[in-house]
Amino acid sequence: MYEGLSSPNIHTPKSISEYASIVLHYPLSKIWAGGTFIMTRPDAYPSKALNAEIIYLGEMEELHRFQRNDRSAEFGAMVTLDEILNTGKSVLPRVLIDNITSIGSRVITRRATIGGAIATHDFTTSFPGTLIVLDASAEVRFLKKKRLHSRWMQMTRLLDKNGRITLPQSGMISRVRIAFSEKNFQYFEEIGSFMTDPRNAVSAAFAGTLEQDILINPRIAFTFPNHGICYSRDIDNIFTTLHFPLDDSEFMTLESIIFTFIDSTFQNLSPLQRTRTRGLLRNIIDALNEDSLTVPPDERQ
Amino acid sequence: MKIDCTIDGKTLTLSLNSDKPLSLILRENMGDEGYVNHCSGRMCGLCAVLVDGKAVLSCMVPAFEIRGKTVTTFESFRRSKEMKDIEKAYEAVGAYPCTDCYASRSLIFHSLIDEGVTDKNQILKELSIVRCHCMDAASEIKIVQKGIEIRRKRNVRRTQLA
Repeated sequence: MYEGLSSPNIHTPKSISEYASIVLHYPLSKIWAGGTFIMTRPDAYPSKALNAEIIYLGEMEELHRFQRNDRSAEFGAMVTLDEILNTGKSVLPRVLIDNITSIGSRVITRRATIGGAIATHDFTTSFPGTLIVLDASAEVRFLKKKRLHSRWMQMTRLLDKNGRITLPQSGMISRVRIAFSEKNFQYFEEIGSFMTDPRNAVSAAFAGTLEQDILINPRIAFTFPNHGICYSRDIDNIFTTLHFPLDDSEFMTLESIIFTFIDSTFQNLSPLQRTRTRGLLRNIIDALNEDSLTVPPDERQ
Repeated sequence: MKIDCTIDGKTLTLSLNSDKPLSLILRENMGDEGYVNHCSGRMCGLCAVLVDGKAVLSCMVPAFEIRGKTVTTFESFRRSKEMKDIEKAYEAVGAYPCTDCYASRSLIFHSLIDEGVTDKNQILKELSIVRCHCMDAASEIKIVQKGIEIRRKRNVRRTQLA
Protein backbone atom coordinates (compact mmCIF):
# COMPACT_ATOMS: atom_id res chain seq x y z
CA MET A 1 0.00 0.00 0.00
CA TYR A 2 2.74 2.46 0.91
CA GLU A 3 5.72 0.82 -0.77
CA GLY A 4 8.60 3.11 -1.59
CA LEU A 5 8.29 5.17 1.58
CA SER A 6 11.54 5.74 3.37
CA SER A 7 11.64 3.96 6.68
CA PRO A 8 12.65 6.17 9.63
CA ASN A 9 15.80 5.18 11.51
CA ILE A 10 15.04 4.10 15.05
CA HIS A 11 17.54 4.97 17.76
CA THR A 12 17.11 3.21 21.08
CA PRO A 13 19.45 4.80 23.62
CA LYS A 14 20.05 2.82 26.81
CA SER A 15 21.23 5.76 28.92
CA ILE A 16 21.04 9.55 29.08
CA SER A 17 24.61 9.92 27.79
CA GLU A 18 23.78 7.74 24.79
CA TYR A 19 20.67 9.86 24.23
CA ALA A 20 22.83 13.01 24.33
CA SER A 21 25.19 11.75 21.64
CA ILE A 22 22.26 10.77 19.37
CA VAL A 23 20.57 14.15 19.81
CA LEU A 24 23.85 15.90 19.00
CA HIS A 25 24.06 14.02 15.72
CA TYR A 26 20.36 14.30 14.86
CA PRO A 27 18.97 17.46 16.52
CA LEU A 28 15.69 17.34 14.53
CA SER A 29 14.77 13.78 15.43
CA LYS A 30 11.35 12.90 16.78
CA ILE A 31 11.27 11.75 20.41
CA TRP A 32 9.03 8.74 20.96
CA ALA A 33 7.73 7.72 24.41
CA GLY A 34 4.60 5.51 24.60
CA GLY A 35 3.39 6.57 21.16
CA THR A 36 -0.30 6.66 22.14
CA PHE A 37 -0.75 10.21 20.88
CA ILE A 38 1.49 9.97 17.80
CA MET A 39 -0.12 6.75 16.58
CA THR A 40 -3.69 8.02 16.98
CA ARG A 41 -3.17 10.94 14.62
CA PRO A 42 -4.86 10.23 11.28
CA ASP A 43 -1.65 11.09 9.40
CA ALA A 44 0.63 9.06 11.67
CA TYR A 45 1.40 6.58 8.93
CA PRO A 46 2.53 7.29 6.30
CA SER A 47 3.93 10.32 8.10
CA LYS A 48 3.70 13.64 6.28
CA ALA A 49 6.30 15.10 8.61
CA LEU A 50 8.93 12.88 6.95
CA ASN A 51 10.92 12.47 10.10
CA ALA A 52 13.89 10.38 9.17
CA GLU A 53 15.06 9.79 12.73
CA ILE A 54 13.09 8.57 15.72
CA ILE A 55 14.55 8.34 19.23
CA TYR A 56 12.66 5.71 21.21
CA LEU A 57 13.04 6.25 24.97
CA GLY A 58 11.55 2.91 26.04
CA GLU A 59 14.87 1.20 26.68
CA MET A 60 16.33 3.84 28.99
CA GLU A 61 16.29 2.18 32.38
CA GLU A 62 16.51 5.40 34.37
CA LEU A 63 13.32 6.74 32.79
CA HIS A 64 11.36 3.79 34.18
CA ARG A 65 12.26 4.46 37.82
CA PHE A 66 9.85 5.48 40.53
CA GLN A 67 10.98 6.90 43.87
CA ARG A 68 9.10 8.28 46.82
CA ASN A 69 9.85 9.85 50.16
CA ASP A 70 7.67 11.39 52.88
CA ARG A 71 6.95 14.52 50.89
CA SER A 72 6.86 13.65 47.23
CA ALA A 73 6.95 11.02 44.53
CA GLU A 74 9.31 11.14 41.58
CA PHE A 75 8.47 9.37 38.34
CA GLY A 76 10.73 8.71 35.38
CA ALA A 77 9.24 10.02 32.14
CA MET A 78 8.61 6.51 30.80
CA VAL A 79 6.57 5.36 33.80
CA THR A 80 3.16 4.51 32.41
CA LEU A 81 -0.05 5.97 33.79
CA ASP A 82 -1.14 2.47 34.79
CA GLU A 83 2.06 2.01 36.82
CA ILE A 84 1.43 5.34 38.57
CA LEU A 85 -2.06 4.16 39.45
CA ASN A 86 -0.78 0.81 40.75
CA THR A 87 2.12 2.16 42.77
CA GLY A 88 0.66 5.30 44.25
CA LYS A 89 -3.12 5.04 44.43
CA SER A 90 -3.19 5.39 48.22
CA VAL A 91 -0.64 8.19 48.56
CA LEU A 92 -0.93 10.33 45.45
CA PRO A 93 -3.31 13.34 45.33
CA ARG A 94 -6.88 12.46 44.48
CA VAL A 95 -7.01 14.94 41.60
CA LEU A 96 -4.19 13.03 39.87
CA ILE A 97 -5.80 9.64 40.43
CA ASP A 98 -9.14 10.99 39.13
CA ASN A 99 -7.36 12.32 36.05
CA ILE A 100 -5.73 8.97 35.25
CA THR A 101 -8.91 6.99 35.85
CA SER A 102 -10.85 9.38 33.60
CA ILE A 103 -8.62 8.37 30.68
CA GLY A 104 -10.38 5.03 30.67
CA SER A 105 -9.24 1.60 29.64
CA ARG A 106 -5.94 0.09 30.76
CA VAL A 107 -5.34 -0.80 27.13
CA ILE A 108 -4.47 2.92 26.80
CA THR A 109 -3.04 3.68 30.25
CA ARG A 110 -0.65 0.70 30.02
CA ARG A 111 1.03 2.42 27.05
CA ALA A 112 0.62 6.13 27.80
CA THR A 113 3.58 7.55 29.75
CA ILE A 114 3.74 10.54 32.08
CA GLY A 115 6.47 12.21 30.00
CA GLY A 116 4.55 11.70 26.77
CA ALA A 117 1.34 13.02 28.33
CA ILE A 118 3.12 16.29 29.13
CA ALA A 119 5.22 16.77 26.02
CA THR A 120 2.76 16.19 23.17
CA HIS A 121 3.22 18.39 20.11
CA ASP A 122 0.41 20.79 19.05
CA PHE A 123 -1.97 19.14 21.47
CA THR A 124 -2.56 19.35 25.20
CA THR A 125 -3.65 16.37 27.27
CA SER A 126 -5.50 16.88 30.54
CA PHE A 127 -2.40 15.83 32.48
CA PRO A 128 -0.26 19.02 32.54
CA GLY A 129 -3.21 21.04 33.91
CA THR A 130 -3.50 18.64 36.83
CA LEU A 131 0.25 18.77 37.44
CA ILE A 132 0.07 22.58 37.47
CA VAL A 133 -2.57 22.67 40.20
CA LEU A 134 -0.45 20.23 42.19
CA ASP A 135 2.58 22.51 41.78
CA ALA A 136 4.57 19.63 40.27
CA SER A 137 7.98 20.14 38.72
CA ALA A 138 9.75 18.40 35.85
CA GLU A 139 13.38 17.75 35.09
CA VAL A 140 14.06 19.00 31.57
CA ARG A 141 17.13 17.83 29.66
CA PHE A 142 18.19 20.04 26.80
CA LEU A 143 21.13 20.69 24.51
CA LYS A 144 23.18 23.84 25.01
CA LYS A 145 26.58 24.45 23.46
CA LYS A 146 26.78 20.80 22.36
CA ARG A 147 26.26 19.54 25.89
CA LEU A 148 23.21 18.06 27.56
CA HIS A 149 22.06 20.14 30.52
CA SER A 150 19.35 19.37 33.02
CA ARG A 151 17.15 21.68 35.04
CA TRP A 152 14.23 21.18 37.40
CA MET A 153 11.39 23.49 36.39
CA GLN A 154 7.95 24.06 37.81
CA MET A 155 5.22 23.05 35.40
CA THR A 156 3.91 26.64 35.27
CA ARG A 157 7.30 27.75 33.90
CA LEU A 158 6.96 25.32 31.00
CA LEU A 159 3.79 27.12 29.85
CA ASP A 160 4.25 29.66 27.08
CA LYS A 161 2.01 32.72 26.63
CA ASN A 162 -0.40 30.69 24.49
CA GLY A 163 -0.93 28.11 27.20
CA ARG A 164 1.15 25.39 25.52
CA ILE A 165 3.82 23.30 27.21
CA THR A 166 7.03 24.28 25.46
CA LEU A 167 10.35 22.50 25.75
CA PRO A 168 13.69 23.71 24.39
CA GLN A 169 14.92 22.36 21.03
CA SER A 170 15.79 18.64 21.42
CA GLY A 171 14.60 18.91 25.00
CA MET A 172 12.93 16.08 26.82
CA ILE A 173 11.36 15.55 30.21
CA SER A 174 13.26 12.92 32.18
CA ARG A 175 11.56 13.02 35.59
CA VAL A 176 8.43 14.48 37.17
CA ARG A 177 8.17 15.29 40.87
CA ILE A 178 4.75 15.45 42.49
CA ALA A 179 4.33 16.59 46.09
CA PHE A 180 1.89 14.69 48.31
CA SER A 181 -0.81 17.30 48.56
CA GLU A 182 -2.46 18.10 51.89
CA LYS A 183 -5.10 20.24 50.22
CA ASN A 184 -8.51 19.11 51.42
CA PHE A 185 -10.47 20.10 48.33
CA GLN A 186 -9.44 18.53 45.05
CA TYR A 187 -11.52 18.29 41.92
CA PHE A 188 -10.99 16.91 38.45
CA GLU A 189 -13.50 16.50 35.65
CA GLU A 190 -13.17 15.94 31.93
CA ILE A 191 -16.07 16.48 29.54
CA GLY A 192 -15.88 15.12 26.02
CA SER A 193 -13.13 12.96 24.60
CA PHE A 194 -9.71 14.59 24.25
CA MET A 195 -8.60 12.04 21.67
CA THR A 196 -11.66 11.68 19.47
CA ASP A 197 -13.33 15.10 19.83
CA PRO A 198 -10.62 17.62 20.79
CA ARG A 199 -12.57 20.59 19.37
CA ASN A 200 -15.28 20.27 22.00
CA ALA A 201 -13.53 18.60 24.94
CA VAL A 202 -12.46 20.43 28.06
CA SER A 203 -11.14 19.47 31.49
CA ALA A 204 -10.82 21.30 34.79
CA ALA A 205 -8.49 20.61 37.71
CA PHE A 206 -8.73 22.37 41.04
CA ALA A 207 -6.90 22.00 44.34
CA GLY A 208 -7.04 24.13 47.47
CA THR A 209 -7.45 24.06 51.22
CA LEU A 210 -10.91 25.05 52.33
CA GLU A 211 -10.87 26.39 55.89
CA GLN A 212 -14.28 27.41 57.17
CA ASP A 213 -15.41 29.72 54.36
CA ILE A 214 -12.16 30.72 52.64
CA LEU A 215 -9.72 28.98 50.32
CA ILE A 216 -6.01 28.87 51.05
CA ASN A 217 -3.54 28.43 48.21
CA PRO A 218 -6.13 27.52 45.54
CA ARG A 219 -5.12 26.63 42.00
CA ILE A 220 -7.39 26.12 39.03
CA ALA A 221 -6.56 25.12 35.46
CA PHE A 222 -8.80 24.54 32.46
CA THR A 223 -7.43 22.51 29.56
CA PHE A 224 -8.60 22.82 25.97
CA PRO A 225 -6.86 20.09 23.93
CA ASN A 226 -6.54 22.07 20.70
CA HIS A 227 -5.70 25.38 22.35
CA GLY A 228 -3.77 24.82 25.54
CA ILE A 229 -3.98 25.31 29.28
CA CYS A 230 -5.75 28.24 30.87
CA TYR A 231 -3.94 28.98 34.10
CA SER A 232 -3.35 32.32 35.78
CA ARG A 233 -2.09 33.38 39.21
CA ASP A 234 -4.60 36.25 39.02
CA ILE A 235 -7.53 33.82 38.91
CA ASP A 236 -6.04 31.90 41.85
CA ASN A 237 -5.80 35.17 43.78
CA ILE A 238 -9.46 35.96 43.06
CA PHE A 239 -10.41 32.59 44.58
CA THR A 240 -8.54 33.48 47.79
CA THR A 241 -10.72 36.59 48.21
CA LEU A 242 -14.00 34.66 48.01
CA HIS A 243 -16.15 33.68 50.98
CA PHE A 244 -18.09 30.47 50.53
CA PRO A 245 -20.88 29.64 49.92
CA LEU A 246 -21.16 31.88 46.87
CA ASP A 247 -24.56 33.13 45.76
CA ASP A 248 -25.61 33.40 42.11
CA SER A 249 -24.53 37.01 41.62
CA GLU A 250 -21.06 36.29 43.05
CA PHE A 251 -20.81 33.26 40.79
CA MET A 252 -21.73 35.36 37.74
CA THR A 253 -19.05 37.91 38.61
CA LEU A 254 -16.42 35.17 39.05
CA GLU A 255 -17.52 33.53 35.81
CA SER A 256 -17.23 36.78 33.83
CA ILE A 257 -13.72 37.42 35.22
CA ILE A 258 -12.58 33.91 34.29
CA PHE A 259 -14.12 34.12 30.81
CA THR A 260 -12.49 37.51 30.20
CA PHE A 261 -9.15 35.84 30.86
CA ILE A 262 -10.00 32.76 28.74
CA ASP A 263 -11.14 34.97 25.83
CA SER A 264 -7.97 37.04 25.98
CA THR A 265 -5.83 33.87 25.78
CA PHE A 266 -7.82 31.62 23.44
CA GLN A 267 -9.84 33.23 20.66
CA ASN A 268 -11.35 30.24 18.92
CA LEU A 269 -13.09 28.17 21.57
CA SER A 270 -16.10 26.32 20.19
CA PRO A 271 -19.52 27.24 21.64
CA LEU A 272 -19.81 23.76 23.17
CA GLN A 273 -16.41 24.15 24.80
CA ARG A 274 -17.51 27.45 26.35
CA THR A 275 -20.74 25.92 27.64
CA ARG A 276 -18.84 22.97 29.07
CA THR A 277 -16.28 25.25 30.73
CA ARG A 278 -19.12 27.18 32.34
CA GLY A 279 -20.63 23.89 33.53
CA LEU A 280 -17.32 22.73 35.00
CA LEU A 281 -16.87 26.01 36.87
CA ARG A 282 -20.41 25.69 38.19
CA ASN A 283 -19.66 22.12 39.37
CA ILE A 284 -16.50 23.26 41.19
CA ILE A 285 -18.31 26.13 42.92
CA ASP A 286 -21.24 23.87 43.84
CA ALA A 287 -18.84 21.34 45.39
CA LEU A 288 -17.05 24.13 47.28
CA ASN A 289 -20.39 25.54 48.48
CA GLU A 290 -21.44 22.10 49.66
CA ASP A 291 -18.15 21.52 51.50
CA SER A 292 -18.26 24.92 53.15
CA LEU A 293 -21.78 24.25 54.43
CA THR A 294 -20.91 20.81 55.77
CA VAL A 295 -19.90 20.79 59.43
CA PRO A 296 -16.56 18.97 59.85
CA PRO A 297 -16.87 15.72 61.87
CA ASP A 298 -14.75 17.04 64.77
CA GLU A 299 -17.04 20.04 65.24
CA ARG A 300 -20.26 18.01 65.36
CA GLN A 301 -21.89 17.69 68.76
CA MET B 1 14.04 -2.26 8.65
CA LYS B 2 14.20 -5.98 9.53
CA ILE B 3 12.07 -7.00 12.48
CA ASP B 4 12.19 -10.38 14.22
CA CYS B 5 9.01 -11.29 16.02
CA THR B 6 6.60 -14.14 16.62
CA ILE B 7 3.13 -13.78 15.14
CA ASP B 8 0.57 -16.48 15.91
CA GLY B 9 3.30 -18.94 16.86
CA LYS B 10 5.39 -18.37 13.72
CA THR B 11 8.82 -16.86 14.15
CA LEU B 12 9.23 -14.32 11.37
CA THR B 13 11.72 -11.82 10.05
CA LEU B 14 9.78 -9.02 8.40
CA SER B 15 11.19 -6.28 6.24
CA LEU B 16 9.03 -3.24 6.99
CA ASN B 17 8.85 0.48 7.48
CA SER B 18 9.87 0.95 11.09
CA ASP B 19 6.87 3.11 12.03
CA LYS B 20 4.21 1.03 10.29
CA PRO B 21 1.33 0.25 12.68
CA LEU B 22 0.90 -3.37 13.73
CA SER B 23 -2.70 -3.31 12.48
CA LEU B 24 -1.46 -2.56 8.94
CA ILE B 25 1.30 -5.17 9.24
CA LEU B 26 -1.33 -7.78 10.08
CA ARG B 27 -3.61 -6.67 7.27
CA GLU B 28 -1.08 -6.10 4.51
CA ASN B 29 1.89 -8.29 5.34
CA MET B 30 0.08 -11.15 7.06
CA GLY B 31 -3.17 -10.99 5.06
CA ASP B 32 -5.30 -10.98 8.22
CA GLU B 33 -8.04 -8.75 6.81
CA GLY B 34 -10.89 -10.59 8.47
CA TYR B 35 -10.06 -9.78 12.05
CA VAL B 36 -7.97 -6.64 12.27
CA ASN B 37 -9.34 -3.25 11.44
CA HIS B 38 -7.29 -0.13 10.67
CA CYS B 39 -9.18 2.97 11.73
CA SER B 40 -6.46 5.61 11.05
CA GLY B 41 -6.52 6.95 14.58
CA ARG B 42 -10.28 7.05 15.15
CA MET B 43 -9.84 4.85 18.24
CA CYS B 44 -12.59 2.41 17.28
CA GLY B 45 -11.10 -0.27 19.52
CA LEU B 46 -11.71 -3.03 16.97
CA CYS B 47 -8.08 -3.93 16.36
CA ALA B 48 -7.14 -5.50 19.70
CA VAL B 49 -4.44 -8.17 19.67
CA LEU B 50 -2.34 -9.71 22.43
CA VAL B 51 1.29 -8.62 22.63
CA ASP B 52 3.17 -10.77 25.13
CA GLY B 53 -0.20 -11.88 26.50
CA LYS B 54 -1.58 -8.39 27.12
CA ALA B 55 -4.36 -6.77 25.10
CA VAL B 56 -3.27 -3.74 23.08
CA LEU B 57 -4.77 -1.81 20.20
CA SER B 58 -2.64 -2.83 17.25
CA CYS B 59 -3.08 0.55 15.52
CA MET B 60 -1.11 2.12 18.38
CA VAL B 61 1.88 -0.22 18.18
CA PRO B 62 4.59 0.74 15.67
CA ALA B 63 6.64 -1.97 13.99
CA PHE B 64 9.83 -1.22 15.91
CA GLU B 65 8.07 -1.97 19.21
CA ILE B 66 7.25 -5.58 18.28
CA ARG B 67 10.91 -6.57 17.91
CA GLY B 68 11.40 -9.80 19.84
CA LYS B 69 7.78 -9.87 21.02
CA THR B 70 5.02 -12.42 20.66
CA VAL B 71 1.88 -11.23 18.90
CA THR B 72 -1.30 -13.29 19.13
CA THR B 73 -4.19 -12.35 16.87
CA PHE B 74 -7.72 -13.65 17.18
CA GLU B 75 -7.00 -16.01 14.26
CA SER B 76 -4.88 -18.22 16.53
CA PHE B 77 -6.52 -17.27 19.82
CA ARG B 78 -9.90 -18.62 18.65
CA ARG B 79 -8.49 -22.17 18.74
CA SER B 80 -7.23 -21.88 22.32
CA LYS B 81 -8.79 -23.31 25.49
CA GLU B 82 -9.13 -19.75 26.81
CA MET B 83 -11.45 -18.88 23.91
CA LYS B 84 -13.51 -21.99 24.64
CA ASP B 85 -14.06 -20.62 28.17
CA ILE B 86 -15.20 -17.30 26.76
CA GLU B 87 -17.53 -19.02 24.29
CA LYS B 88 -19.04 -21.01 27.17
CA ALA B 89 -19.52 -17.73 29.07
CA TYR B 90 -21.28 -16.20 26.02
CA GLU B 91 -23.55 -19.23 25.87
CA ALA B 92 -24.28 -19.22 29.60
CA VAL B 93 -25.18 -15.52 29.61
CA GLY B 94 -27.00 -15.73 26.27
CA ALA B 95 -25.29 -12.69 24.77
CA TYR B 96 -22.84 -12.60 21.88
CA PRO B 97 -20.85 -9.69 20.43
CA CYS B 98 -21.62 -8.76 16.81
CA THR B 99 -19.31 -9.91 14.01
CA ASP B 100 -17.57 -6.50 13.89
CA CYS B 101 -16.33 -6.49 17.45
CA TYR B 102 -16.31 -10.25 18.22
CA ALA B 103 -12.53 -10.61 17.94
CA SER B 104 -11.59 -7.45 19.79
CA ARG B 105 -14.13 -7.85 22.56
CA SER B 106 -13.21 -11.51 23.08
CA LEU B 107 -9.52 -10.61 23.49
CA ILE B 108 -10.36 -7.90 26.03
CA PHE B 109 -12.68 -10.34 27.86
CA HIS B 110 -9.74 -12.78 27.92
CA SER B 111 -7.44 -10.12 29.37
CA LEU B 112 -10.00 -9.30 32.11
CA ILE B 113 -10.67 -12.96 32.91
CA ASP B 114 -6.94 -13.66 33.01
CA GLU B 115 -6.40 -10.88 35.56
CA GLY B 116 -9.48 -11.95 37.54
CA VAL B 117 -11.09 -8.49 37.44
CA THR B 118 -14.46 -8.59 39.20
CA ASP B 119 -15.05 -4.91 39.89
CA LYS B 120 -18.02 -3.88 37.74
CA ASN B 121 -16.80 -0.35 37.05
CA GLN B 122 -13.38 -1.63 36.11
CA ILE B 123 -14.90 -4.15 33.66
CA LEU B 124 -17.04 -1.47 32.00
CA LYS B 125 -14.13 0.95 31.82
CA GLU B 126 -11.91 -1.63 30.15
CA LEU B 127 -14.56 -2.56 27.62
CA SER B 128 -15.38 1.08 26.87
CA ILE B 129 -12.42 1.07 24.48
CA VAL B 130 -14.51 -0.98 22.01
CA ARG B 131 -16.74 1.55 20.31
CA CYS B 132 -19.51 -0.83 19.32
CA HIS B 133 -22.86 -0.80 21.05
CA CYS B 134 -23.97 -4.33 20.28
CA MET B 135 -23.72 -5.50 23.88
CA ASP B 136 -25.27 -4.08 27.05
CA ALA B 137 -23.27 -3.36 30.20
CA ALA B 138 -25.02 -5.98 32.35
CA SER B 139 -24.16 -8.76 29.87
CA GLU B 140 -20.53 -7.66 29.70
CA ILE B 141 -20.20 -7.86 33.48
CA LYS B 142 -21.93 -11.27 33.58
CA ILE B 143 -19.68 -12.64 30.83
CA VAL B 144 -16.51 -11.68 32.70
CA GLN B 145 -17.83 -13.09 35.98
CA LYS B 146 -18.97 -16.31 34.30
CA GLY B 147 -15.69 -16.56 32.42
CA ILE B 148 -13.69 -16.30 35.66
CA GLU B 149 -15.89 -19.01 37.19
CA ILE B 150 -15.49 -21.35 34.20
CA ARG B 151 -11.74 -20.84 34.06
CA ARG B 152 -11.38 -21.46 37.80
CA LYS B 153 -13.31 -24.73 37.49
CA ARG B 154 -11.13 -25.81 34.58
CA ASN B 155 -7.96 -25.04 36.53
CA VAL B 156 -9.23 -26.96 39.58
CA ARG B 157 -10.09 -29.97 37.38
CA ARG B 158 -6.63 -29.84 35.80
CA THR B 159 -4.84 -29.78 39.18
CA GLN B 160 -7.02 -32.65 40.42
CA LEU B 161 -6.09 -34.71 37.35
CA ALA B 162 -2.42 -33.91 37.89
